[in-house]
Amino acid sequence: MLVVTPFEVFSIFLMSILAGLIGAVFGLGGGILIIPFLTLVEGVPVPYAVGASIISVVATSSASAATYVQDRLTNLRLGMFLEVGTVLGAITGAFVAAFLDPAILLVLFGILLIYASATMIVGPRIDFPSGVVPDKTAQRLRLGSEYFDPATGTTSRYEVTNTLRTLGISGISGIVSGLLGVGGGIISVPTMNLLSKVPMKVASATSNFMIGVTAAASSSVYFVRGDVQPLLVAPLMVGVVIGAAVGTRLLRRTPPLKVKLLFAILLITISIAMILKGFFPQIVL
Amino acid sequence: MDLNRIVAQSLRVGVLFSAVLSLLGLSLWAFGGFGSVSVPAVLSVGVILRLASAGDLTGIVYLGVIVLIATPIFRVAISSIYFAAERDGAYAGITILVLGMLLLALYSGAAG
Repeated sequence: MLVVTPFEVFSIFLMSILAGLIGAVFGLGGGILIIPFLTLVEGVPVPYAVGASIISVVATSSASAATYVQDRLTNLRLGMFLEVGTVLGAITGAFVAAFLDPAILLVLFGILLIYASATMIVGPRIDFPSGVVPDKTAQRLRLGSEYFDPATGTTSRYEVTNTLRTLGISGISGIVSGLLGVGGGIISVPTMNLLSKVPMKVASATSNFMIGVTAAASSSVYFVRGDVQPLLVAPLMVGVVIGAAVGTRLLRRTPPLKVKLLFAILLITISIAMILKGFFPQIVL
Repeated sequence: MDLNRIVAQSLRVGVLFSAVLSLLGLSLWAFGGFGSVSVPAVLSVGVILRLASAGDLTGIVYLGVIVLIATPIFRVAISSIYFAAERDGAYAGITILVLGMLLLALYSGAAG
């Protein structure tokens, strides 16, 4: 049985506020902060960390998606279409995870984080793509849309392209989500933005929208398997909702470069620690 | 009614409800003197409802988890009904496909 102290519950609660905030601002589920915190700082076994994280990812993304959907920032059609890929991937990943050594999962997680930090530091982004010609699938599914940006006070029209390739990558992001207990936003946001040419803010909002369903798919597998510990998941569910409520108000103003850089440095530090933990399981920070 | 509003409201209600249940569970734990918590060996909605109504911490938090997992699934179900009513065959099909996979995950998780 897992013994959890009041201090641990309180520290998980505080950290989850930060995870919810970061998740809402960057279009992520927040799992990339929760998993390292639970495994490295609290010494929680990997399956329990993944089980708790994936549930909180549902909470972060549903809380922030509610606001973005109401603001009409989310592309509902694109999100629902790409969910076909992410949900299929998530279920596959959650089943495969049961057969993998936790050490392998930790090393894979470290690699994901290095990729995430690289995306944060050097990853190009297009705030307002222009001259985009929609492909056949996007035309047939009427994926193009418009959104109101409170920062500039204008409504802009945008088109969607490379739809089927984006669907394929959504499948991969779903597998990562189910395998590692994250939302997969770190893959789907840049993909929607750079490949499908969706404006950055719409990509973040649509990612949050999709993550709720993606994580619900793998959550149900982890939950029924018995990997969800009540005292780990309860402070997370409360904390991320508070964090997401603050974060959704912040997205209106794009995160400044410094915040992104600090976040990236944090991710690099965590990724090194995760890989070390994979090779030397006895490490607890 | 507009799909954006329905989706936003259902997500908000589901998330808040599960957060309140979690908070309730944690308060019970605090008032009970921070004791150790056991998890039932067999999980079913019936078992969880019975534990929750008996004021058991695990039962209440798990009820919150069930509501939370059900929230996005409900959102997909509502969307498929909406698209079917709008006679939008493509999107009704897409959302029903996603819904089918989600229910399959629940079922196969329960079976495995």
